[in-house]
Amino acid sequence: MPDAATEPSTPAPAGELPDVSRRDVVARLLKLGAVSLAAALASGASLAPLLHVASAAEPGKKRKRRYGMVIDTRRCVGCDACVAACKAENKTPPGVSYTIVLEQGLGERPDDRPLFLTKPCFQCEHPPCVPVCPVGATFKRSQDGIVVVDYDRCIGCRYCIVACPYQARFSDFGEDYPAVEEHTPWASVPSPEYKQFRVRGKGKSPEGNVRKCTFCLHLQDENGEYDRASGRWPACAKTCTGKAIHFGDLNDPDSEVSQLLKERQAIRLKEELGTEPNVYYLL
Amino acid sequence: MPESDAQKITRRRLFKLGGGAATGVAAAAAVSGLGTRSGEHDLRVNAAGLQRWGRDAGQWVPSCCNMCGGQCGIMVHVVDGIVEKIEPNNWNPNNYTNISTDWFDGYTDEHGCKEGAVICPKGNAGVMALYDPDRVKTPLKRTNPDKSIGADPRWQEISWDQALDEIAAKLKALRDSGEAHKLIWFSEDHSFTHPQMDFCTLFGTPNYSNHANLCDVSRKASFRTILGDDRPLADFIQSKYIMLFGWNPTSAIKWVHLPRIITRAIEHGARLVVVDPYLSDTAAKAQEWVPIRPGTDGAFALALAHVIIRDRLYDREFVEKWTVGFDRFADYVKDKTPAWAETITSIPAATTERLARELATTKPALVDVWSGPGQHSNGVQGGRAIGLLNALIGTIDAPGGMINPDKAKTKHNAPQPDDTAAETLKQPRFDERSKYPLSHSSGIYAQSFVNLAEDKGPYKPKIGVIVFQNPMMAVPGSQTVAKALAKLETLVVIDTMLSETAMLADYVLPGTVYLERYDINAHWVTWPAIGLRQPVVKPLFGQPAEYETVAALGRRLGLKDKSGKEFFRIGAISGQPVEDLTAWYEEYLSAELKGGSPGITLEEFKKLPGAVWVDRKGTRYRKYADTIPADQLTGAFYDGDRAANGTVVYDKPPQAGGKPIGVVVDGAVRKGFNTPSRRVEFYAKSLEGKVDALGNPVDPLPVYVPRDWQPDEQYPLYLINWKEASHTHSRTFNNPWLLHLKSENPLIIHPDTAARFGLKDGDEVIIESPYGSTRGKIKATRRMHPEVVGLQHGFGHWAGGRNAVGRGTADAGLRPTRADPLSGQAIHKQTCVTLRKA
Repeated sequence: MPDAATEPSTPAPAGELPDVSRRDVVARLLKLGAVSLAAALASGASLAPLLHVASAAEPGKKRKRRYGMVIDTRRCVGCDACVAACKAENKTPPGVSYTIVLEQGLGERPDDRPLFLTKPCFQCEHPPCVPVCPVGATFKRSQDGIVVVDYDRCIGCRYCIVACPYQARFSDFGEDYPAVEEHTPWASVPSPEYKQFRVRGKGKSPEGNVRKCTFCLHLQDENGEYDRASGRWPACAKTCTGKAIHFGDLNDPDSEVSQLLKERQAIRLKEELGTEPNVYYLL
Repeated sequence: MPESDAQKITRRRLFKLGGGAATGVAAAAAVSGLGTRSGEHDLRVNAAGLQRWGRDAGQWVPSCCNMCGGQCGIMVHVVDGIVEKIEPNNWNPNNYTNISTDWFDGYTDEHGCKEGAVICPKGNAGVMALYDPDRVKTPLKRTNPDKSIGADPRWQEISWDQALDEIAAKLKALRDSGEAHKLIWFSEDHSFTHPQMDFCTLFGTPNYSNHANLCDVSRKASFRTILGDDRPLADFIQSKYIMLFGWNPTSAIKWVHLPRIITRAIEHGARLVVVDPYLSDTAAKAQEWVPIRPGTDGAFALALAHVIIRDRLYDREFVEKWTVGFDRFADYVKDKTPAWAETITSIPAATTERLARELATTKPALVDVWSGPGQHSNGVQGGRAIGLLNALIGTIDAPGGMINPDKAKTKHNAPQPDDTAAETLKQPRFDERSKYPLSHSSGIYAQSFVNLAEDKGPYKPKIGVIVFQNPMMAVPGSQTVAKALAKLETLVVIDTMLSETAMLADYVLPGTVYLERYDINAHWVTWPAIGLRQPVVKPLFGQPAEYETVAALGRRLGLKDKSGKEFFRIGAISGQPVEDLTAWYEEYLSAELKGGSPGITLEEFKKLPGAVWVDRKGTRYRKYADTIPADQLTGAFYDGDRAANGTVVYDKPPQAGGKPIGVVVDGAVRKGFNTPSRRVEFYAKSLEGKVDALGNPVDPLPVYVPRDWQPDEQYPLYLINWKEASHTHSRTFNNPWLLHLKSENPLIIHPDTAARFGLKDGDEVIIESPYGSTRGKIKATRRMHPEVVGLQHGFGHWAGGRNAVGRGTADAGLRPTRADPLSGQAIHKQTCVTLRKA
């Protein structure tokens, strides 16, 4: 029961709540939403992302392809289908989830309305996670810009986890879901990651390794190409119920992702770090 | 390289302490470009693994999901009899849109829909349901007569033959003693229901019920009364103004096309307004959230109507030609002013004035409602008031409005009962359905359980069968349900999991996960489409599918139809005995498809792209204005002037059993709506003189009457519940992938309200109602109306699998077991509670 002496709060929540416009979101994210967003993303650092009007293809890159994502926050409904699809595709164990959906309150509003933000690995142009690896197990592929982990080399030291300002790396502590623990038929299903088709087993990689989103690169053909029509497409983008996750080659000026960056304003998170993420957000 | 816990902790702590600094260093290193690609090398590829498990290996079997009742299309990758992965089915419109022009735009038989189909998190997580190690694997027999909650049933594992023999013997004894009607049967709907209905008919019980009255029969009653269709569908993608009452479609995701068509509508300039006590995840996508007191939606809708009529903003042509009772309605809402509504709803009058104007002047617009307002004691009338706004703005069955879907048909070849069965079928239904003037064929669960628990009702049932349902958590009032189930001499539960309900059973038979069985799904899009569910793997434990279990019981009982045919043994097409149960059911399905809209056999159906049949004719609008061909009017009876608008046309004189088939509008006989007046009814003459299940007169106008339980000093807070994308009903809570998405259901409360109760975010609380109390953890957010608390339904299991138990808060125990007295809808949202710190 409420304390009788306490002043009851004013009810009437139903006042005229302001609209959420695009401009609002941008302004709020920049002004203060982003600070809390950054706080949610970073381990300790409070950093505001800058508005980045992207140029799709940055000249001077030798790389053939630069795979990236353009995620439309207006279309993201926060359903988490991407998170489940990622598990279904990569067979990640408990505690390892290559993508998550952040739910960030837009601070100034009187109703705590959330903004949903799906967050895979950003496959940064300058990935802070790479140079800290003492054994050269993690690197950015020159052919497509995807940052990978060589499970055979990774010693599980987790420096890269600390180095990633976006919390996109996860340690595989060797936990298993009951379907694996109890040796159901599912226990024999391998993870297709890196086309290595590793079956889960105690003491076997990737248990003990650091793991991360690969843009489902195992779905590329021999030429390094994806094909949406035949289902060889990153699992999160394929299942996205609001069609919010656009995926493609940022080096190809005609790709959907490049076109979207030309037409729409996009931001990248923690731009000031100079990491140059290859994942953009449309607001 | 496993390490000890101590090592783990130490290293974790080390990283945590050093984290900030290391991030800075690393970032600096990256920017300077040091060693960015220094370690690049080839990763080894497992060619044998790729060949065995890659996308080109095995088969991709098209089917339909049943992780919820949405029945979306799936493609299932099966390798060596193991389901590797589930993906969207690009040929199933349910996974993409509900409007045919959107569907066919860029559609090819080769690749399906243009942008690719989608599935929700639950659909993605289906493998974890299939390979759940806690599934029921073998028939179980109770040996402990104590059926109280929490008692150990002392299960004894028995063979299928023993289980079916023993259950059949009990059923036979009941039937032989002329008491077949004392079998009561409850089932999940959508799936495998027809053979269960057939069994009940042939056995001789009128007491077959299924899920819908726990869900949306209130909405069905509202729309059926106003426009003659149980389930009109919102054409979101073509709409410019969408007002939703108590519906959370982008999160509850009944059909997975909803997030796409709603966000796309907004992208195309539509305004989305969500009326809800909680800023749901759908409201999070809306331009405007309108917080409202629970159960007052009808009052708000009437005030909107008041403004629209007062300011003459309504579609006069539609109202004049296609509705009845407008004058009486207009008269009724004359004093239902925004100021009147403000005191009831807490919505400021100025907001109502503005929203009414927006709704009536933005075209096309639609107003839809689902279970939020529906699951209160005044839900049906409130739903009528809400639905009728669509009549005022004239967008019923019009693009961007509420569409009366053209449903695909399958032919249920329902058997005729033999004389023995016909005798007991004359008995009244145990749930007293006839007392509910707007009830649904799914029955009245709440009344059934109350009658059983309190020894009321027309007779005392002896055997209960519950198929893939968990009334202990799904029906309001868990204690009443437990008491009711304990009164049965025999309770048989068929389920995949040992649910709270199964724990009270005498026999538990292992059910199938949807990946192990057949079903036909007529999809909820606006034009005819049917998807096939088919077994993609054999049942894991060699168990029969539910329809096979039913058929096996039917065979043991020797059930025959009126012609003496042994129904569960004779093929529906061949007319010959089919010993194999699966083959028998395949023939049964084939007959349903052959006799229905597709007109093809099961084997032909399986070969369709995606195993989906889609009518090429597509969505049709304003079907009510279709003229009836003259040859169908020979012998027709006109109930009035043949030329006057509104004259109802019957196929033959009503005295000779004629039925209304059309209505005269603009000089022609048109199909109209499926109401008695063949027009949209502001005033339902059919309700004149009717009384509801409580004996109160039913008003033919969509009147606002306060719900019959309001907060008071002792229980000062409204308690509501809802669904989210992460879980279905109470049945996905052992699924570890879905628990990864949502592992608990905090009680959402406004921070000011929490403070009033001396509580803060994260506090453990006792939630107490007059009917029970339970524990919860509060989450303080301004997303909630200050007078209301609420939570996601389905958590708080004490059975149902190792992951499910002890997680979150169950809400059913806080409610009385009650049905809405008009439709029989279980009342899930009408509870008042108080909170104290645990």
